[in-house]
Amino acid sequence: MGGAFAAFAAFVSWASRAARRPRGARIGRVLAAKAVVSSSAVSLTAVSLSVVSLIAALAGDAAAQVRGTIVGPGSTSYPIAVSPLKGDERDGGRFADIVARDLDLAGLFKVIDRGAYIENAQSSGVTSDTINFDNWKTIGALALVKGTLERSGEGVVIEARLFDVVERKQIAGKRYRLEEGNVRRVAHRFADEIMLALTGERGPFDSRIAFASRREGRFKEIWAMSLDGGDLQQVTHERMITLSPNWSPDSRSFLFTSYRTGNPSLFSIDLGGGTPRLVSSQRGLNLGGRYSPAGKAIAVALESGGQTDIALIDPSGQFLHWVTRDRALDVSPSWSPDGRSLVFCSDRGGGPQIYTTSADGGPARRVSYQGNYNTSPAWSPKGDRIAYSARIGRRFQVFVVDVKGGDAKQITDTGGDNEDPTWSPDGRYLVFSSTREGRAALYMSDVSGAHQKRLTPSGGDDSTPSWSRWLE
Amino acid sequence: MTRSLRLATILFMVVALAAGGCAKKKKTLDESSTDVTGAGGESGLAAGSSLDRFKHGLNPEEGGVLKDVHFAYDSYELDGTARDVLAANAEWLKDNSRAKTEIEGHCDERGTVEYNLALGARRAKAVKDYLVTLGISGDRLSTISYGEELPLCREQNEQCYARNRRVHFVPPQ
Repeated sequence: MGGAFAAFAAFVSWASRAARRPRGARIGRVLAAKAVVSSSAVSLTAVSLSVVSLIAALAGDAAAQVRGTIVGPGSTSYPIAVSPLKGDERDGGRFADIVARDLDLAGLFKVIDRGAYIENAQSSGVTSDTINFDNWKTIGALALVKGTLERSGEGVVIEARLFDVVERKQIAGKRYRLEEGNVRRVAHRFADEIMLALTGERGPFDSRIAFASRREGRFKEIWAMSLDGGDLQQVTHERMITLSPNWSPDSRSFLFTSYRTGNPSLFSIDLGGGTPRLVSSQRGLNLGGRYSPAGKAIAVALESGGQTDIALIDPSGQFLHWVTRDRALDVSPSWSPDGRSLVFCSDRGGGPQIYTTSADGGPARRVSYQGNYNTSPAWSPKGDRIAYSARIGRRFQVFVVDVKGGDAKQITDTGGDNEDPTWSPDGRYLVFSSTREGRAALYMSDVSGAHQKRLTPSGGDDSTPSWSRWLE
Repeated sequence: MTRSLRLATILFMVVALAAGGCAKKKKTLDESSTDVTGAGGESGLAAGSSLDRFKHGLNPEEGGVLKDVHFAYDSYELDGTARDVLAANAEWLKDNSRAKTEIEGHCDERGTVEYNLALGARRAKAVKDYLVTLGISGDRLSTISYGEELPLCREQNEQCYARNRRVHFVPPQ
């Protein structure tokens, strides 16, 4: 009892300190000064960069605790109800839709259909002492999301709470202040909080995917979206071939390769669009540029005279040093999360295989031992595993292997080609492109291969995805 | 002789600029951080290249006065047929001693985007090297890779894959 009181006191003290902290600058509209192609590009900028301020953790009538693994790997269908926020039917409903979709994508939850909910969200209680938990127990929910949305002259405030239905207690609660129209960001952040409370680890949904797509005609351009695809937006307008986007560590821009000058050169572009900045234009390939975790260097495959090797350059394009320098074809670098190593694809052993090496260069250690064609590696943010694409028979499948070596686990087993895996920021999910249903689309899977779901509408020819870190 | 040399030098510079953007030394990199304005940047596009055609809504061409050569899967080796084709191409280039061309490396759609771009570069270089051994000056031959990005066909069958595993010569200017 004393421990609970002490925890409660600590929360109140933290909350009041947080409330006094100065707000971050409202960055949202600044990028409107750059050339913007469409109004929806502006709203994407506002959503991605305006500050969603976490004002306070909400104390319930008992100290909020992180429950740890109520829902763990291997468990499926933990039943949860997500009620629309009270105070605004339209945006309160949108919030619930987005949270529900994220929890569905997570593969661990069964979100109970809103048609089954007994009470009216706009007129029922939202705190543990005012909620009728029997209404939720009856429909089979073990957890419940409820909250409020308030508009005032100063903007919008959302309070979102997660309850344990059986114990009738609040498990988590957050209050957010946001710009108008930013309900998406708050919903994704709270979905991540729900996963933190119920699985012990923060969820990956407050993040973005960038990818190359041919969905608007014959030119491949780079598009960006949240996992649920609700804010799908074209970013580049090169009207040429564009490839292999990779996010900056702050998730506000990405590197990509474009043939806009005729040579495949490396560019950087802000998420809000505008004029790309030339980063590296060595004659020949400048391909697969990837920021180091601290953002101080870019690993990139540079080709001249038919010879492709991996180099480090700085963010302005200045050459630093070679990482590989040999007669082999070395391509597709990916950083370890500690920034000290790189994993890449090389045919130095005959056919394409996966190797790791120090970012300073030096001897490489082979990681893939099954099959004779392994490419497009990606190092998990947890540091312990590498995902890659392997040719099995006539198809490409996604594999995950422990960094230390050992058996590789096959994640996909479908018709079509499954390529270019990219990791979620929490290291529990992968997104990759797959032609299993025809033209390439993006799919999501957890790291064990379960809960695979298509993310992008079909017909797009979507490839080379990059999953950002959490948006902050 | 001198006038031809001057003309050839000018032609070379024009083609080099057209073919690959700013020429840079192979071993080091210049600092390159300039804003690229506009959606054009067309100074780097070789007229009649597969990329140039693509930009103007045309499909890539198959062959031309200089014939395409083809490759086995995941290979950049020149087989007997390829060498015969290149010998004929070399003859044409000798007969037209001022002509320059850009050698494009292409791949079929299997394998990942980045690996295929590097493989296409290997293929283009292998063809260039062979033409040089046949007596064509390397100054007349530039290379570029398009990987799997500019295929001749998109069907998912062996016949289409084989067509796409190619080196194509940009029609000499």
